[in-house]
Amino acid sequence: MATVQLRPLRTKGWGRIAFLVLTSVLMLVPMYLLIVSAFKSQQDILTHPFSLSPDQLTTEYLRKAATNPDFNILKGYAVTILFVVSVNVLSVALAGPVSYVIARRSERRYRMLLLLFVAGTFIPSQVLVIPVVYTLKFLGLMGTIPGFVLFETTLTLPFSIFLYAGYIMTIPASLDEAAAVDGAGQHRVFWSIVFPLMKPAVVTMVILNTFSVWNDFVNPQIILGPGSGLYTVTTGVYAAVSQYSTDYTVVFPTLLLAVAPLLVVFVLLQRHVISGLTAGATKG
Amino acid sequence: MRARLTTQLTGQLTTLSMVGPALVLFVVMLVVPVGLSLYLSLTDWDGYSANPAFVGLKNYVNLTHSAEAIRAGWVTLLIAAVGTVLLSVLGLGFALLVNGASRLNAFFRIVLFYPHVLSALVVGFLWSAVLGTSGVVNGWLTSKGAEVLPFLSNPNWALASLIGVLVWAGFGVNVVLYLAGLQTVSKDLLEAARIDGASTRQTFFSVTLPALAPVVTVNLVLSLVTLLKTYDLVVSLTGGGPAGSTQTAAYLILWDSFHNNALGFGSAQSVVLMVITAGLALTVARLRSRADRGVQT
Repeated sequence: MATVQLRPLRTKGWGRIAFLVLTSVLMLVPMYLLIVSAFKSQQDILTHPFSLSPDQLTTEYLRKAATNPDFNILKGYAVTILFVVSVNVLSVALAGPVSYVIARRSERRYRMLLLLFVAGTFIPSQVLVIPVVYTLKFLGLMGTIPGFVLFETTLTLPFSIFLYAGYIMTIPASLDEAAAVDGAGQHRVFWSIVFPLMKPAVVTMVILNTFSVWNDFVNPQIILGPGSGLYTVTTGVYAAVSQYSTDYTVVFPTLLLAVAPLLVVFVLLQRHVISGLTAGATKG
Repeated sequence: MRARLTTQLTGQLTTLSMVGPALVLFVVMLVVPVGLSLYLSLTDWDGYSANPAFVGLKNYVNLTHSAEAIRAGWVTLLIAAVGTVLLSVLGLGFALLVNGASRLNAFFRIVLFYPHVLSALVVGFLWSAVLGTSGVVNGWLTSKGAEVLPFLSNPNWALASLIGVLVWAGFGVNVVLYLAGLQTVSKDLLEAARIDGASTRQTFFSVTLPALAPVVTVNLVLSLVTLLKTYDLVVSLTGGGPAGSTQTAAYLILWDSFHNNALGFGSAQSVVLMVITAGLALTVARLRSRADRGVQT
């Protein structure tokens, strides 16, 4: 029986790998084009898009893109990293304690609270940005860094609270009861006993939030606006690329500079990214 | 008695201090804006004048005979429907192909997933440089003496290209979610099915797929909600063109609100999109949970 099954399985295995290799090529071709085209002239990109002849490659266009007066890429990185860090810190500080209360209390009002937060996931943020502009204007925060960070943090709350509350439920309540008996207050119990145990869930959310804040386009574009002089990597790319959309010696190097940091981070952290997403999915 | 009351009160205050900050932010930045959207949808406001004029349901009535809004609605639903099916089928198919711990599978997973890391805006610009009329593919075709293909310049092709790029960029997430689901399939049941002589196909349909049901729900809801708000990719890939053929609801809402200064009308569209998104997501979740119960009983 076993020997009969072995043969078809093996041929199927090679078919599988061939198919996956072909798919991988399709997935990687745009990235290959992005990378090689960043080092080529317009003529070369159009007539020999796939070719890679070392003597034709030049870093001239990449250098030009890096020092583009319309879009200072270093400033873009700095502003974006500032946003990523602030949103992550604020998100954990706010979503952590409320998730703890939701996970540990059985009263109806806390279940309703969870439902209220989770309902937020169904609201398309592009739809929200219009009334948020007026809310921020009312608060005097429109076009400011705090205004943008507060809104972006709010967008992280629904999924964070959902994930954290689910995760805390898997941590035995007897642990925090013991600490409470020893006289620790709720805040103390949460931050020094429960929070350290939530590390996997927090790492997942931090990674997901980092990608979504880094890649967000519509919110920084509208809330920070062109008037504020603040641009993130994506709004900067939009400003630089949409004007020269057919000058590929501007387009490709700019796009490469925009994606390179995130791709490097992804390749270094890919195990956490994929397993983090996996954890989020099965808990949901 | 008094001391007990005080401890109770401090306990409640502590709880409030843990719940309060997140709740206040959520209400100010999400609940109030949603309410504001509902109110603005009943007004005729340009975004500048001091007092929005209350017009009742006029914006909603106008919406039912705005050819542009109706087309954007259909385009959005088409993208969401076709996209969700493709993402789910490809997601599950590839998850089955790269399931199992091996170095090669780990590599394939990364390759299938990586576009998700890139911003949709960048993905759109990248593919428009590849597929545009004077883009890489057409430049190459021209140099070989072949005809130029209208990937982004013919309305039907452009919509198909948009969906294609959405699927290219997004199905890796579904693969990962299905891989997570496959971990929960009982090894004992798989073993038992194999010993009973079930074929691969039989095992898949009677053991694997039922066990995956909750993940299928997550995937369908997530894909639908994501695709219904397609915006960034439209901006950078097609700019809504040619001739408005790839304008999605989110694109039109922001266009009407900020370029046409029709905030009341834009808000009415927002409310409809919110209701449709929540309605579809809840329907899918409910149908799926009914199907799961059907399997169990």
